[in-house]
Amino acid sequence: MRTINRVRAGAVIAAGVFALSACAGSSTKSGGGSTSSSTGSGSSTSAANNGKPTLEIGVQGPLSGANQALGLNIDWGVKLAVQQENAKGDLPFNLAVKEADDQGLQNNGADEANLLIQDQKVMGVVGPAFSGPTAAAGALYSTANLVAISPSATAPKLTASGFKTFYRVVANDNIQGKAAADYMAKALKASNVFVVDDKSQYGQGLSTAIVAELKADGVTVETDSAQAGTQDYSQLASKVASSGAKAMYYAGYYADGGVFAKALKSAGYNGTMMSGDGSKDPNFITTAGKDAAEGWQFTCACLDAGTNPKYAAFVSAYKQLANAEPGTYSIEGYDAANTIISVLKGLNTATPTRQAVADAVGKVDYQGLSKEVKFTSTGDISTTAVYVYQIKSGVITLLGDVNTLVGGS
Amino acid sequence: MYFTQHFWELLFQGIRLGSLYALIAIGYTMVYGVLQLINFAHSEVFMSGALGGVFMLTALAGTNGNIPSGFSAFEYTALALIAGAVVSAAVAFSLERVAYRPLRKRHAPKLVYLITAIGASIFLYNLAGKLFGRNNLQVPESFHSGPVFVLPGSGPSGPRTVKTLDVLIIATAFVMMIVLDLVINRTKLGSGIRAVAQDAETAQLMGVDVGKVISRTFIIGGLLAGVGGVLYAMFHAVSYTMGFIPGIKAFTAAVLGGIGNVRGAMLGGLLLGIVESFSQGIIPNGLEWVDVVSFVVLVVVLLIRPTGILGERTGRAA
Repeated sequence: MRTINRVRAGAVIAAGVFALSACAGSSTKSGGGSTSSSTGSGSSTSAANNGKPTLEIGVQGPLSGANQALGLNIDWGVKLAVQQENAKGDLPFNLAVKEADDQGLQNNGADEANLLIQDQKVMGVVGPAFSGPTAAAGALYSTANLVAISPSATAPKLTASGFKTFYRVVANDNIQGKAAADYMAKALKASNVFVVDDKSQYGQGLSTAIVAELKADGVTVETDSAQAGTQDYSQLASKVASSGAKAMYYAGYYADGGVFAKALKSAGYNGTMMSGDGSKDPNFITTAGKDAAEGWQFTCACLDAGTNPKYAAFVSAYKQLANAEPGTYSIEGYDAANTIISVLKGLNTATPTRQAVADAVGKVDYQGLSKEVKFTSTGDISTTAVYVYQIKSGVITLLGDVNTLVGGS
Repeated sequence: MYFTQHFWELLFQGIRLGSLYALIAIGYTMVYGVLQLINFAHSEVFMSGALGGVFMLTALAGTNGNIPSGFSAFEYTALALIAGAVVSAAVAFSLERVAYRPLRKRHAPKLVYLITAIGASIFLYNLAGKLFGRNNLQVPESFHSGPVFVLPGSGPSGPRTVKTLDVLIIATAFVMMIVLDLVINRTKLGSGIRAVAQDAETAQLMGVDVGKVISRTFIIGGLLAGVGGVLYAMFHAVSYTMGFIPGIKAFTAAVLGGIGNVRGAMLGGLLLGIVESFSQGIIPNGLEWVDVVSFVVLVVVLLIRPTGILGERTGRAA
């Protein structure tokens, strides 16, 4: 009798545990540290004593979690733009930054967007940083007439989803994907390419664009997918190695890309390994280890400040504020914030409405640091430059503009 | 066909992953044996071991990317494994002291343990994230992982090989499992653990110090998980949330083999690893199907044998 009871109890516990583990799973993803804080940037406090009211620029992106680096790069860029504007003091109000941390997860996108929407002081949002949360939040921003300028959400369909107030200051993944494919087919002269995506909005959008253009270029393509959080990349890495592909493109973010790089190294793959903007971060190198990361190339519609003297003033101001080098999308975050600021300046009123800001952003023509900010009717940026980077001795270095690289070879 | 061409490679990769699952699964199963508690914080014990090993490697080898060779390679690897084991054992021991012992003293219902376990897990990984950052940490390489022997079957990229790292993972895991099996079946501590698992009250009447046995069970589970964590770090990544998925997989392995049964956990771990690896080789784009296949296997096994492959024979040797 006793044993039977025990067996039954065991089965019940096991069943309960599965239910619980499922809950634990979702809570790890959505619960852990997704709290949002309203932080005025360092400068807004110093400028706050001049009797002017305070309005806010929202930032939505992963400020914690596995892919926080990209979000923080943007956040500091926005904070710098706000700090500089407050120092100038030529607006009829002070500006502050309000942060909403979606951890880059689609599930958190709507909640974090609501947090910004409900705060009536928020006049414009820089973000959402990732494509998944943008898909979840775009309609909300649209309904609230709150303008959202993403410095980095590149999934093509976002600007075709009818989000009235969504804009982005980087070329979308159709353009990045096409450029990446042309680069592999024409500059690297790869006759067969293996494309891996991470099953995210971003990864799938990018890989679809790459595969389409590769086929148009007459390249043999093999594809596979590995969800973010995959435990063992070694089988996939072996598959890539035994396919004999001349080039491999990983469409996903760095937290997993780095692990995949490790596995590819161990599998002895010797083709050209490439990835996109989502993996172009020093943390890719940290995760993979210097050895495995060496030689990887990245396509990105973003422009690194790097050592270009044109950006020296930006770099030193950024470093002073963030206590770190500007990274991927720092300039774009800065430009997106300044676009909103320029619009607020144009309206020149202490009580701008969200509707007025959104309308003005659609017609804006602002010379940003990285590019001229001017949007198409769907909200995409009108410039289409895509750059290629490569890891050389552990540092992500700019190789050049794809058009020049493809044309020059 | 891909699977037949790469059979040996897939098998090896499966055993490698499976032996790691087994190392973690033992911690779940042993604690279940003595406390009838699913210790969900065990995945954080695993994570802390990986962190311990990585900090030891960073202190020894630095982060400049130089790979040590010869004796220092061996020394660094061994020290990292020991550091991981010690840190994990310490975390597991304190976990039992702080989170479970007070409950046991007050004869709390089993559900309370479960909630405590989940709470402890959330606390520990957030603490680690706060202390060590939310990004992946760099794992310095402690040795050069070159080919050790060539596997039968070859593809266009040349012969497939088994690397030093693969051998290290599999060998360490198997040695530890064999030693553990001996400890459980041949030593006084082992018979104490078995006695408590069979019937804690009677064991106490027979003079077994139940509190001490439970403590030591946690320590043993921690030692194995810590070594598993360091080995896992060497081929995957280290971050504050790294424990979650391997923890769930290892728990699955423990249920598959028969929860409470130590040999069952070993078998379940290996089986799960091999099933995951093979399903990737057999199904096109198999990575997306890995979890589906492994849970189908679990459900089928539980339908046929509700207590797992080797049965829930907590007290017996196997």
